[in-house]
Amino acid sequence: MRLKVVLLTMCLLSTSALAQEKKDKPSDEKPISFYRQVRPVLQRHCSGCHFPAKQSGKLMLTSFSAFKKGGENGAAFMPGQPEKSLIVEYVSGDDPAMPLGADPLDPQQIDLISRWIAQGAKDDTPPTVQDNISAENPPRYASAPVITALDYSPDSKLLAISGYREILVHAADGSGLQARLVGRSQRIESVRFSPDGKLVGAAGGTPGLFGEVQFWDHSAKKLVRSITISYDTLFGARFSDDGKQFSFGGADNSARVINVADGKQVMRLDAHSDWVFCSTFSLKGSHLITVSRDRAMKLTIIESGQFVDNVTSITPGALKGGLIAVQRRPGVDQVLAGGSDGRPRLYKVFRTRKRIIGDDFNHIRSYKKMPGRIFDLQFNKTGDRFVAGSSSATGGAARIYKVGKFDTPKINNDGGLGVVRQQIVQRSKQPMLVHELAGVESPVYCVAFRPDGQQVAVGGFDGTVRLFDAKSGKLIKKFVPVTVTPAVTAKK
Amino acid sequence: MSMKTWLLGLSLLVVVAFGSQDLPGEETKAGKAPVVKVTKLTVFPTSLELNGKRDSRRLIVSGVDVEGHVFDISAQATVKAGGPQVSVDRDGFIVPEKTGAAKVIVTAGGLTTEIPVVVKDVTDHPVSFVREIIPVISKVGCNAGTCHGAQKGKNGFKLSLRGYDPLFDYGALIDDLSGRRFNRSQPNQSLMLLKPTQGVPHEGGFLFDEQSRKYSLIEQWIAEGCRFDKATRTVRIEVFPTKPLLETVESVQQLVVVAHYDDGTSRDVTRDVVFETSDFEVAIVSDSGQIEAVRRGEAAALVRYEGRYAAAPVSIIGKREGFVWKESPEHNFVDRLVNAKLQRMKILPSGLNTDEEFLRRISIDLTGMPPSVEQVKAFLVDKRPSKVKREAKVDELISSPGFVDHWTLKWSDLLLSNSKFITEKGAWAFRNWIRRAITTNMPYDRFVFQLMTASGSTFENPAANYYRISREPRVVMENMTQVFIGTRFQCNRCHDHPFERWTQRQYYELSAYFAGVGRKPGPTKGEEIIFSLSTPQDIKHPTTGEVVPAAFPFVVKLDDKQPAQTDPRLKLAAWLTTRENPYFAKSLVNRYWSYFLGRGIIDPVDDIRASNPPSNPALLDALQEDFVKGGFDVKALIRRITFSHTYQRTFRPNKWNTEDALNFSHAAPRRLTAEQLYDALHVATGAPSTIAGMPEGFRATQIPDPKVKIGFLDMFGRPPRESPCECERSSDVSLSQTLNLINGPTVANAIIHPQGRVAKLIAAKADSATLVKEVYLAVICRAPAEAELKQAVEFVTKVGNPAEAAQDLMWALINSPAFLFNR
Repeated sequence: MRLKVVLLTMCLLSTSALAQEKKDKPSDEKPISFYRQVRPVLQRHCSGCHFPAKQSGKLMLTSFSAFKKGGENGAAFMPGQPEKSLIVEYVSGDDPAMPLGADPLDPQQIDLISRWIAQGAKDDTPPTVQDNISAENPPRYASAPVITALDYSPDSKLLAISGYREILVHAADGSGLQARLVGRSQRIESVRFSPDGKLVGAAGGTPGLFGEVQFWDHSAKKLVRSITISYDTLFGARFSDDGKQFSFGGADNSARVINVADGKQVMRLDAHSDWVFCSTFSLKGSHLITVSRDRAMKLTIIESGQFVDNVTSITPGALKGGLIAVQRRPGVDQVLAGGSDGRPRLYKVFRTRKRIIGDDFNHIRSYKKMPGRIFDLQFNKTGDRFVAGSSSATGGAARIYKVGKFDTPKINNDGGLGVVRQQIVQRSKQPMLVHELAGVESPVYCVAFRPDGQQVAVGGFDGTVRLFDAKSGKLIKKFVPVTVTPAVTAKK
Repeated sequence: MSMKTWLLGLSLLVVVAFGSQDLPGEETKAGKAPVVKVTKLTVFPTSLELNGKRDSRRLIVSGVDVEGHVFDISAQATVKAGGPQVSVDRDGFIVPEKTGAAKVIVTAGGLTTEIPVVVKDVTDHPVSFVREIIPVISKVGCNAGTCHGAQKGKNGFKLSLRGYDPLFDYGALIDDLSGRRFNRSQPNQSLMLLKPTQGVPHEGGFLFDEQSRKYSLIEQWIAEGCRFDKATRTVRIEVFPTKPLLETVESVQQLVVVAHYDDGTSRDVTRDVVFETSDFEVAIVSDSGQIEAVRRGEAAALVRYEGRYAAAPVSIIGKREGFVWKESPEHNFVDRLVNAKLQRMKILPSGLNTDEEFLRRISIDLTGMPPSVEQVKAFLVDKRPSKVKREAKVDELISSPGFVDHWTLKWSDLLLSNSKFITEKGAWAFRNWIRRAITTNMPYDRFVFQLMTASGSTFENPAANYYRISREPRVVMENMTQVFIGTRFQCNRCHDHPFERWTQRQYYELSAYFAGVGRKPGPTKGEEIIFSLSTPQDIKHPTTGEVVPAAFPFVVKLDDKQPAQTDPRLKLAAWLTTRENPYFAKSLVNRYWSYFLGRGIIDPVDDIRASNPPSNPALLDALQEDFVKGGFDVKALIRRITFSHTYQRTFRPNKWNTEDALNFSHAAPRRLTAEQLYDALHVATGAPSTIAGMPEGFRATQIPDPKVKIGFLDMFGRPPRESPCECERSSDVSLSQTLNLINGPTVANAIIHPQGRVAKLIAAKADSATLVKEVYLAVICRAPAEAELKQAVEFVTKVGNPAEAAQDLMWALINSPAFLFNR
């Protein structure tokens, strides 16, 4: 036993002796790379807490610039002066302050950081990894990306489709690519044409790093505005009917409304307890309706930001899993929502009688259940039909439903919940399914109804856009919206 | 310092330098145990056949020294490819490159050896989600209960616990949030690769790097389009070596795990299985499957992969300088098998206990009561050879009424005979049914068969109370599995069993056998009729909602004697009680063994699973076989156990077995159970036991029902009979128990009882010596030693009041371990 200790000590002595030797001759030293040597240490041991969404000690260690800026205790390092640099102080010693709750860094790692600072703390992050994608150097695709968002232009001539780092604007009939709107966000979660058709608005971001709203002048292929919001992607965007406001949800459990003209925030809602996946405006544009993974559909006054009501039942177990999609019906204050239980449901936006615990009074009717989870749904312009898409992970479906006619529910103010429920059940029994869109076999994540009512578009896991005749339900055309160059995979 | 130790030091230095550059998770290290001269190298396996580009395999390299000791030197060995057909990757695995034959050259300890390898196929098959991706996710712990496998997931991302539901996991990775977690266009930008490599911040930390095999597997799977496949999971995993034996502390042993599939193929999955140790104070097992001996003892290396479990029992002998095995008497096969294990572990068994100790132990174990003064005296004056009279004593007690009382209590506990469930009349009836079965020594298989198939009035056929006590199919099933096959199916109600291969579906399939049990009120008050429903209720899978048909979790060959049955309960009973059922008899012999030796060969006795291996599998197998051969004769089993030298060993350890708690080298003192303590107290003090509502002299052991409230019994851990777990009976020792024994009225009142032993002795004007001797014999079932007698007589004289002195002496002895423990 004793011998081992001696040997270990010898071993330690020899390494520190080596280090000593190196310190004495800094001129011989190879330059330390921030990107290849220091950044990996920070990524592995530090950025789990010091990243945008968490920022322990108001410090981010996810990029050189953020690292340089430091946190609440000041700059993280002083170039050329490791002994005065906070980071060295925090990770050194017998009982180092950092990493918190984890094993201390190896002496070599501390030495590495110190020497990098001593050498001047230079950033050598290669431009290629910083950002080499731009309009001039658009993304290349090893295989078709999953399609997460689709929208038709109001004149029914264009179809905007999500890509990786870009929005692809195709001719609505699939005859050709019109524009590539290359931005910063890896994921475009939602894309919408403005009511006047001039702008394309998008909500998305890069997972784990930032969320972004983009407004594009698509004819000029010009990014009018980019707003970075929160630290993860944004979802479920809508323009208000007058085109002046833009709403969306986020991975920060919030929903927001901004002005299209100047990008200023009008309202922020924090009443949800999980990610907010979709949003829609009330008929007059006075209220916002949001749905979330927390299972709730919430109604909020935009002007004051005041939370009004849960539109759905809030009884535990009334809804299984989260809600994913919501749209207000054209011309009337009703909303259609879908989510984890696969059943499209129509609700009144505004409650016409006092809530009784356990009621689901705003519920008007349900439609035939789809396989898996509903990811998207959209009304036609007249609001008498809608298309919905769903996924069961290994399969998917897209359907066109009739909304159907129904009497306004009879209101019985002295209770009578049972009667209301029965009415819903009766109504929901009518077969409203118009078309099961054939040929959709993989998960569907987005659908769109062409404003002229002639066609619907369906996209999802397989990366192919399918166009169907809305009247017959027949497949008209399918196409992959990007050019696939498999060579990219052959990098090894 | 010898040369050897210097070599050790050098190798240590090398390891330190090398280890620091290695990557986390996949490193192995050389053992710190002395490196001795190797005279021979052996490699496992002795040849390799590789099928497919990712069919890479690892080797175990062992060295043999001059004395024939074998030890693992895999970590020091260099493995080189002997031809372009194969290469060796950074984990030391042999990777196929081209079809054809080649050799692998292994060098260690200055010796070189070769093994042949044939590469049959180098096709790069598509990566399987079920067989390759889920194991990686399990290996790095993404789906652990503390991370995304938690009931609500973590940070919005939920996986099935330990990957039991591949389809759910596929949905979570691929379908959630419209494909957020992968990027088919640019696989290396996929969130499921960026998170574990810390490419984006991840609270779960850094799990693998971009050059790792794990990374390239996932990357390839994404590039191939994130396909879901219906590949079957492994049917069996095998661990090599099967019984790792490490001679010295700090030595190591590399494991290799091979998964077998239903199509006959196999894969080396060592890098993807999850390793754990059953006892980290004895041995630790690294992520890469290297066992390191921490201290002398036994542990199990537990292996988990694709919902299958295996365990390799690890024995660490340690330095036992001066140990010499001495033959210990072998009364029957029990001793032979116990001693074989002891010899291997270098443990020396203790000798026989004294006749007095034997008598007290056997009396308590068979009848729940210590012997009376008269019985002790009679046994001691019996001049027959000790072995003969001990066996005669067993035969006598096993046929005594006390035996029936004691074992009725045990089975009433296990079967939850409780007036809360079956009314007071029912509890008496059920108790009497159990008593009859024990009195007649009903074969165990028939006993259980009758219970499982019982129908009719609970008063007329008391066995039917079994279905009155458990009123739902799944509850019947849970109790049945725990009591009769010693497994805990309740663990797989909400998800697959986390430590065994049982699935959630099997939980409902097995429950479905009880779906046809109907219950209706009988003609008399409190009576219930158990009958077969014409339409059994539907047993639904909780997540799919699908109606689950009845099916057995494992197939057994049914005895030819038993006719094919249509009634599901008859089918179930036939399946359960057949001699071919691998758990049924095993569970019983193990349970009974624990009643006599204080610990199951598998322990806890009702938690039999691959990850809880037996301490002596040969012994368990032999007991089981003997029991089955003997026609499930419980009394014969008891004789087999109690006749053994092993059972009759003293609790006093010797130099070589003090630390042994697993191998039955000496008796383990057990605190008397609540009822035993109560009854022993009355035997010792001679005070009549008066239990409210019961006839005078009624023993605590005879109480039919936990409803009979006696605070003393509850304090000492009498089970409330609400759960069939053996753990419901507490054997804990607490301060309140101690205080109660010292100051409580139960003990004090019994000692000073006017009809008690002391009172009678005083009335008979016994002299001091007689007083002392009688008290000793009554309380701790032996006569005082000479010194004890002298000291006690002096005490009596000093006190001056013989009654008070005798009471004090009795009180002191009652509070001694010799009374409180069965030892």
